Amino acid sequence: MGLALTGTAALGVCDWAATTGNPPLQTGDWAFVVGNWEVLLLGTLVTVLLTATSLALGFLAGFPAGTVEVYGTGRLRDAVSTAGVLLRGTPVVVLIVLFFFGLPIPRLLTLPVLDVRLDVFLAATLALGFRSAAYQSQVFRGAIQSIDEGQLAAARSVGMTQRQAIRHVVFPQAVRRSIPGFQNEFTIVLKDTSVAFAIGLAELLTRAENLYLQPGRDTAIMEVILAISAIYFVLTFTTNRTIDYLGDAYAIPGGDE
Amino acid sequence: MTLLELEGVRKSYEDEDVLRGVSFAMDRQDVEVIVGPSGSGKSTLLRCVNRLTEIDDGAIYLDGEEIHGIDENDLRRRVGMVFQDFNLFAHRTARGNVTLGLTAVLGLSKPEAVERADDYLDRVGLADQADSYPAELSGGQKQRVGIARALAMDPELILFDEPTSALDPELIGEVLGVMRDLAEGGTTMLCVTHEMGFARSAASTLTFLDDGRVVERGPPEQLFENPREDRTRSFLGQLTDLER
Ligand SMILES: Nc1ncnc2c1ncn2[C@@H]1O[C@H](COP(=O)(O)OP(=O)(O)O)[C@@H](O)[C@H]1O
Ligand SMILES: [Mg+2]
Repeated sequence: MGLALTGTAALGVCDWAATTGNPPLQTGDWAFVVGNWEVLLLGTLVTVLLTATSLALGFLAGFPAGTVEVYGTGRLRDAVSTAGVLLRGTPVVVLIVLFFFGLPIPRLLTLPVLDVRLDVFLAATLALGFRSAAYQSQVFRGAIQSIDEGQLAAARSVGMTQRQAIRHVVFPQAVRRSIPGFQNEFTIVLKDTSVAFAIGLAELLTRAENLYLQPGRDTAIMEVILAISAIYFVLTFTTNRTIDYLGDAYAIPGGDE
Repeated sequence: MTLLELEGVRKSYEDEDVLRGVSFAMDRQDVEVIVGPSGSGKSTLLRCVNRLTEIDDGAIYLDGEEIHGIDENDLRRRVGMVFQDFNLFAHRTARGNVTLGLTAVLGLSKPEAVERADDYLDRVGLADQADSYPAELSGGQKQRVGIARALAMDPELILFDEPTSALDPELIGEVLGVMRDLAEGGTTMLCVTHEMGFARSAASTLTFLDDGRVVERGPPEQLFENPREDRTRSFLGQLTDLER
């Protein structure tokens, strides 16, 4: 059925098991990896782009969701926390397939150069983004709840409204405290972009598979996989160090109370 | 002239009656000191006055107006509060703690707020610490920032909830010094404190609260030297002994 449009990518894993008679890590296969650097670069760009859009959606939906879970009341709060439970309780592959086939996203243009279908990219962003929102909301909820109530009382005591107190006193501190949780979430989303291969999105893993699934190239499976592992690692490592640095730069002098 | 009047104020939590009909009145420029055992309802009483807690029964008048007829944010602008645990905004400097209410609530421009904040920090002896963050200050300094933050709003009345109880003994003096200056300068103050030296020298009236009721109330000398109630004598006696 519809899954056929993902090409041979999803089935490739099975072929691999049947054909591994070749000694791994040959020099010729490394040359193959290097020779295809452009393919891997494009895949990396798609991965980075998908990580960025998913995290952004996750933040835009997750931050308000976490706020509603702390300060909200009634149906809105119930709806938000139920959505969170559902999203956190579903495997991300299932979500991505569900969003792709379940949402009436019209077939849109294909992005030039990257060679990515926009509707596929959109489905992947929605799935990864809302799933991330469900986790980011918990990071923010915890951070908001960790701010001592006394500060809120003090803000109210000079005549600030609840909204002002949350905005000027709670949020600035809660955002700082959510940095470690957010880093964790960033790493997870970056790596989970790879499940978009289930709907044939040409991100890093999909393109890597397409490389070694070419006829006669199954000797390069290990080399290709090691190369993209290194790419994922470099991306998570450098970004985490950058966030560490920003976190230190914006830390409250003398530490948190 | 009466500034604050409480009339039969009652408050319960579940099955616990915390305030059981508290009445008293204080004038402008009075310094009212409330003492009482832990759990007697002192903090609850203060929180009822600025409506951080809502009363169940009775009435509270500020300058003749029942406070439940006043917008709660307007009320709190007129009634400042100083907390036992300081409750400073941890992400803002000493100056930033004072300016926040000025800009967000009073609508002052940033330069106006900074000028006013620095003025009040100077009054509490912290001109040189304006750029320090709470975590960089001692307890006594934090509490003086807390006082400056309340004062800068130019309230008609300031509530103090055991402002020195969380302080190391050697830091209490600097906070009491500021409070004495305020009292002498005519600031209207409603203070819960067990600093008997301050009560004796600065209070215009001393109230002994026990079990949610005013047991005895009068000029401090009278309660110290000549209390009507035995409970007052034994409680104040214990406190005074502790200070020796
Ligand atoms: N928010 C609350 N919920 C339930 N009980 C409370 C609350 N606030 C205070 N109490 C109870 O009210 C009583 C008086 O408390 P409080 O006013 O803080 O006393 P004090 O300041 O004199 O020590 C205590 O027994 C306390 O447990
Ligand atoms: Mg108390």
